[in-house]
Amino acid sequence: MAEKPHMNLAVIGHIDHGKSTLVGRLMFETGAVPAHLIEKYKAEAKEKGKESFAFAWVMDTLKEERERGITIDIAHKRFDTAKYYFTVVDCPGHRDFVKNMITGASQADAAILVVAAPDGVMDQTKEHVFLSRTLGINQLIIAINKMDAADYSEERYNTVKAEVSALLGLVGFKASEIPFIPTSAFVGDNISKSSENTPWYKGPCILEALDLLKEPEKPDKLPLRIPVQDAYTISGIGTVPVGRVETGVMKKGETVTFMPSGATGEVKSIEMHHEEQAQAVPGDNIGWNVRGIGKNDVRRGDVCGPASKPPSVADEFTGQIVVLQHPSAITVGYTPVFHCHTAQTAGTFMSLDKKLDPKSGEVKEENPTYIKAGDAAIITVKPTRPMVIEPVKEIPQLGRFAVRDMGMTIAAGMCMSVKQK
Amino acid sequence: MGEVAATIKIMPESTETDLVDLKIKLEDVLPEGSEIYSSKEEPIAFGLKALILVVLVGDLEGGTEQVEDAFAAVPGVESVQVTELGRPV
Repeated sequence: MAEKPHMNLAVIGHIDHGKSTLVGRLMFETGAVPAHLIEKYKAEAKEKGKESFAFAWVMDTLKEERERGITIDIAHKRFDTAKYYFTVVDCPGHRDFVKNMITGASQADAAILVVAAPDGVMDQTKEHVFLSRTLGINQLIIAINKMDAADYSEERYNTVKAEVSALLGLVGFKASEIPFIPTSAFVGDNISKSSENTPWYKGPCILEALDLLKEPEKPDKLPLRIPVQDAYTISGIGTVPVGRVETGVMKKGETVTFMPSGATGEVKSIEMHHEEQAQAVPGDNIGWNVRGIGKNDVRRGDVCGPASKPPSVADEFTGQIVVLQHPSAITVGYTPVFHCHTAQTAGTFMSLDKKLDPKSGEVKEENPTYIKAGDAAIITVKPTRPMVIEPVKEIPQLGRFAVRDMGMTIAAGMCMSVKQK
Repeated sequence: MGEVAATIKIMPESTETDLVDLKIKLEDVLPEGSEIYSSKEEPIAFGLKALILVVLVGDLEGGTEQVEDAFAAVPGVESVQVTELGRPV
């Protein structure tokens, strides 16, 4: 049987709105909880004659096993629906983790936004909606959660739905095309089947909505781009860059170019898991060897692409950013570090072109004198040394960046256009 | 605020680097409040192996930065990259 298509699913939302409970519930309902725990549970439930607390029991036991050092795979959470298999990208709360979500960690293909019915839209709800747009997550499902704590009120559901719809509209999502589902992850309402507690709700449950997501397009049709993580000299082989293929396909024998250095040569061999490969596709972690390329021709942050369509080296680029935190105000001349794919390059804010109204997405101010935390803006940046970055519309995988300074993630952004060297 | 499980890929300086020894050195420099949950070696290419560590850190200011900086300063480490983030159960 062919493997089901895979999707990375982010679970986002304000703290304490029930993200972890929802993830646990999804794993529980889809049978993704380790078999030994289910057996242990059945035995215990039989002994005690109670079965209604299955979910809470499993969550507690998992936590307990982890604390006692019993190895369970805590870093990968996988569950299957009828159509897909999902890996959960469970987002931490603190903004400083945004850097990891942009540079190293796997990109989410879709997200469930969790909003607690009693609270409605909160600060982090707004921030996460903004970020998911910036990070290129275009498919959303909204879980209006903790309905049990809101008396399963249709009126409350509709109020929160209206709030969230307004927020989604601000950043350009079409709320009318996004499923809103009243849930209680704790009780299990509308997760795997329609709940009797919400007879007024006629839409899909969470698992059905997940199967209605569109399969993500594979980035193998885009031009080849492999950001170099490291470059090694290996005796008997020569220079071996290593990295993960982001887009396109690299075949043995093709001519490739490393940018910004411009070093060009023919691919002699490709290895993955120590085995020789005829080609490498997106997601592959590879080492490869290129004829005539010396150790000094390639370094971390360089990007390998086809000689016929080499990676873009920016003299300047324009980007749209969301300022997440900054102690004061950002003005022209500010020079923080831009983290983009494997590159870390200082860049100077040459101009603040537009300040965007986070409430409408419209231009609020042309050429503002400063921007601060909470603002969205279009800016022009000049890297202090050559750096590869691509417009997000052409190669999204190489168009996102995090702005870091003073040990903090100041902003998240995406590249709109590149003025090449 | 809870915890975060960060999967961190550590590339050694060369094919000669002893990854068992390297892991011990990494454990020694772990910042307070973080712990190594699991580790494995992953073959990459041409004899190079990566050390993959799952490290638990607080969901706090700085994120994985302190751990990344501490690891990057250890002799024998070529690069440090966070490849996955999650919340433990």
